[in-house]
Amino acid sequence: MENVLLTIVTFLPLAGATLLLAIRKDNLKAIRLLALSTATATFLLSLPLFFHFEASTPGMQFEQLVTWIPSIGVNYHVGIDGISLFLVLLTTFLTPITILSSWNSIDRRVKEYFIFLLLLETGMLGVFVALDLFLFYVFWEVMLVPMYFLIGVWGGERRIYAAVKFFLYTMTGSVLMLVAIIALYFFNGGTTFDYLTILSNVQTGKLILTVTEQSWLFLAFFIAFAIKVPLFPFHTWLPDAHVEAPTAGSVILAGVLLKMGTYGMVRFCLPLFSEATLEWTPWINGLAVVGIIYGALVAMVQTDIKRLVAYSSVSHLGFVVLGIFAVNQQGMEGAIYQMLNHGISTGALFLIVGMIYDRRHTRLIQEFGGLATSLPVFSTFFMIVTLSSIGLPLLNGFVGEFLVLLGAFKANVTYTVFATSGIILSAVYMLWMYQRVVFGEVTNERNKGLPDLSLREKFILVPMTLLIIWMGVYSQTFLRKMDSSVSQLLSRFQSTAVVLKK
Amino acid sequence: MSMMLQFANVIVFLGVGVLFLSFSLLLSSLLRPSKYSEEKLIPYECGENPVGSPWIQFNIRFYVFALIFIIFDVEVAFLLPWAVVFKKLGLFAFVEGLIFIAILAVGLAYVWAKGDLQWVRPEERYGR
Amino acid sequence: MLMDNLQSLRYFYPELTLIVAMLVVVIVDISFNRLRNVLNPLLTIAALLIAAYFTAYVNHGQEANLFLGMLALDSFAQFFKLFLLLAALLVVLGSLHSEELLQVHQGEFFALLLAVTLGMLLMANSINLAILYLSLELVSLTSYIMVGYLKGDRLSNEASLKYILFGAISTGSMLYGFSLIYGMTGSLNLYTIRDAFLSQGVQGFDQFTILLALVLTLAGFGFKTAAVPFHFWCPDVYAGAPTPVTAFLSVAPKAAGFAILVRFLFSGMTQTSGSEWGLVNGINWPLVLIGISVLTMTLGNIAALTQNNLKRMLAYSSIAHAGYILMGSVVLTGEGLKSMLIYMFVYLFMNLGAFLVVTIIYNSDRSFEIGDYHGMFKRAPFLTFAMGVFMLSLTGIPPFAGFLGKLYVFLAVIEKGLFWFAVVGTLNAAVAAFYYMRVIKAMVLEEGNGKTAPLHVSFLNQALLVALLIPNLILVVFWNPIERWTASSVKLFSGL
Repeated sequence: MENVLLTIVTFLPLAGATLLLAIRKDNLKAIRLLALSTATATFLLSLPLFFHFEASTPGMQFEQLVTWIPSIGVNYHVGIDGISLFLVLLTTFLTPITILSSWNSIDRRVKEYFIFLLLLETGMLGVFVALDLFLFYVFWEVMLVPMYFLIGVWGGERRIYAAVKFFLYTMTGSVLMLVAIIALYFFNGGTTFDYLTILSNVQTGKLILTVTEQSWLFLAFFIAFAIKVPLFPFHTWLPDAHVEAPTAGSVILAGVLLKMGTYGMVRFCLPLFSEATLEWTPWINGLAVVGIIYGALVAMVQTDIKRLVAYSSVSHLGFVVLGIFAVNQQGMEGAIYQMLNHGISTGALFLIVGMIYDRRHTRLIQEFGGLATSLPVFSTFFMIVTLSSIGLPLLNGFVGEFLVLLGAFKANVTYTVFATSGIILSAVYMLWMYQRVVFGEVTNERNKGLPDLSLREKFILVPMTLLIIWMGVYSQTFLRKMDSSVSQLLSRFQSTAVVLKK
Repeated sequence: MSMMLQFANVIVFLGVGVLFLSFSLLLSSLLRPSKYSEEKLIPYECGENPVGSPWIQFNIRFYVFALIFIIFDVEVAFLLPWAVVFKKLGLFAFVEGLIFIAILAVGLAYVWAKGDLQWVRPEERYGR
Repeated sequence: MLMDNLQSLRYFYPELTLIVAMLVVVIVDISFNRLRNVLNPLLTIAALLIAAYFTAYVNHGQEANLFLGMLALDSFAQFFKLFLLLAALLVVLGSLHSEELLQVHQGEFFALLLAVTLGMLLMANSINLAILYLSLELVSLTSYIMVGYLKGDRLSNEASLKYILFGAISTGSMLYGFSLIYGMTGSLNLYTIRDAFLSQGVQGFDQFTILLALVLTLAGFGFKTAAVPFHFWCPDVYAGAPTPVTAFLSVAPKAAGFAILVRFLFSGMTQTSGSEWGLVNGINWPLVLIGISVLTMTLGNIAALTQNNLKRMLAYSSIAHAGYILMGSVVLTGEGLKSMLIYMFVYLFMNLGAFLVVTIIYNSDRSFEIGDYHGMFKRAPFLTFAMGVFMLSLTGIPPFAGFLGKLYVFLAVIEKGLFWFAVVGTLNAAVAAFYYMRVIKAMVLEEGNGKTAPLHVSFLNQALLVALLIPNLILVVFWNPIERWTASSVKLFSGL
């Protein structure tokens, strides 16, 4: 029974989307309720994954394997380990929240909107659970299409430009990855696309790649992931996509989609191409640090809150990449933890931006000021989320950033020093923005008398805030479950890197 | 280049032809008397004076008829050898011949029904 | 087994059916004034189905050389024949409710279509250069007429004329190439030609002549498949011809062209193992094919980027797809061949689907301009959905069928270590994504241009759309039958 649980979780949203097709277009209430209940059911079903997850088992759990195209060795193979578990949970957790957040703000083509949102969830979950390279690629591409429409149809002013840009950037990266996947398939003897088999062949020395071969494959994978992350200098699609996407789109984009890039690096680049990883680590870390500082500096001068948050993502994801390529326990766990943090904090920030946008239909910082007087509850939530994003101790961001910096410090001091300045900068731009928006006199007449958070909005923000605090105070709940997977990944990495060096 | 060398024959033939022609033209122009007059420039030196330009448009139906004619021309070309050995081949060849004629007959019927056998075409009955 | 003419007739039923049907359609057309518009399509559909039945069941599993070695009866031909009959069938159904063709000499259209199909079946069969040329000319001549079908339409006339001029030159040069091959080997039969080349060794022949013969021959094949640099006719012809004809031309003769290309290369020009190029020293033939393939897809894609006329855009995109299909021929392996067949198979559904949508929209809006597709989402949601699927499938995005075509082609070339070739192919796919997404963008994202009336899609066309959508949507999941079918179709060459 447990074998099919992952499949059910992955495809339940798809089933919900199919059901939505049957509902009449103008029956908005039924559409929203069905979408919400599908997403909630998916979340509830994914909870057993967490509770029944064996923390001590480093390998894959909840595996399911079905033959698909035997002649070229393609299987439907899914499973999760301590790394993907949390990303799956993050996805199932964020989706109902985004559906709630777009309850009223989406009023055009409502049915299609929720269909695409649910399709997107299936795509994202599929990417995290796929253990077959072919399957992984299919899900990776599947998720592109609904995102394209979410940005392009329900986005802001320049939505079409942003959607096309998003699509082409990601597509370019992913087709190169396809070539790398096929090449890897043939280097491995041309019999299977199964990730675990290829991985164990790499481990046991059955599949030995020269450094050059590794480097090419590594780069092809890495560029696809780097575009998704997005790592400087592949980041230019991100601000456009973020700013133009509807709130839910931004939340999903920041919360989950960006993590696919970093997840891919952890899952594929490191264990499969250890030698090439070592070869390229200095460059990647350099880019990550540049990204951290560049993102922070650009965020500082933004006049649009959403754009500011978008650029802060570039900076935060730089930390994640830095943590991954520190290649040690602290760095890696910190990176994974930071992925979750960023998903929740930045997701919450986008939700908050969406909430004031719903009230004022503008996101320019100068339009606001003194919101604390008219929206006290809102401002409180805003405060907590802002602080979490900065990395205040006892909130989630601190744990992740601390671990990342710890790991990175072990690996390379210089980069860490520069990266740390990113934290300071992030405090500067976030607090400055918060101050300009919330504190001070009410300078703009229209900000007076705005309604405070509705029950629905509180319902959205409360779980996020609780999670922010929980993850900050008792991170062990989460870290415990990823320990063994991460350490296995790292020991594999070390062993193959040594094997190859001989 | 063995095959190319075989083309040498062609080139030699070509050269001889050109030489022969130019030689005879040259010779005749040296021998003949040259007296030009206006009459010598008209198409028919010996009688009728042409009226108007020879570049006139022929009725397009000439071509249609020519095409239809060719079909039956070819039919005859095929049927003639068939008829010569007809007795030797027997029934099978007879049936084959009939099929062949029938196929062409369909074409004739088609042309007929479309009105292409009439010189002055009645208004078009089929389609635009 | 070599069969004489009478024995062969038994296996010639598919072609005979088409011939008879063609004549009957002409007779019906001139004799039943009332019924002909109903009878003709029915007759045509029935004939195609019967021919498919004969091909699929009666002739299944037979291996023979018919008509004293003119035609080959094998699984490879069977694949192509079924493919071509299916394409013709879909085009007939798609043309029934096309305003462009409606009532204009309908009977002739069906007779011509049957004639082209007959020619293509023969192309797929032929192992003799003479019959190959004859069948190719049958296809070409009838398609010239079909392209110029709208007699009152200047574009259609221009297209037809251009097609004739290009076709005459290409087939003429191909014929010259054949005659050189005949001169060298003394035979028109592909197997005898190969044996002659093998027995005397390539050194036994004049290198320049071989090169010349092959280049000229390739020109003819290139013309049929619309490969660069023999593609110039393609955009104008596709844009000028009636849309159902364009749809047909973009799939069927192209596939037949690939069939003869494959036969020529695999049966006539390579060793029996099918894995070695035993011909023309000093010239890297795979490299030449790679060059043609890369040029074809790149040029097609880049030219398609700026097209605003949907038909022209699809024309250029079909050039690009020819490039992808050619990728499979480069490696000269069973895998490569299989990938070509698979690509064509999925291409059939996505491309005919796209053209069907174009036809339907033209029926009510009289426009092929992308600007007039704006806001189509509101007017015809299902049509937009279908077009979206076809476009994504053409782009090669999973989980749509087009992805499998690309996957197999890339598998084939990467297996042979041609990484950079695969990279060029994938980057081309990214370029192609831009213009395919433009169509989706116009239909879904852009606001409408004032027209709000729902677009009428006839029931037949809706059913046809569904029929074309299903393979695009489910093939990725239910893939094994196709895989097995194509694998068994190429075992003749690959020895699998």
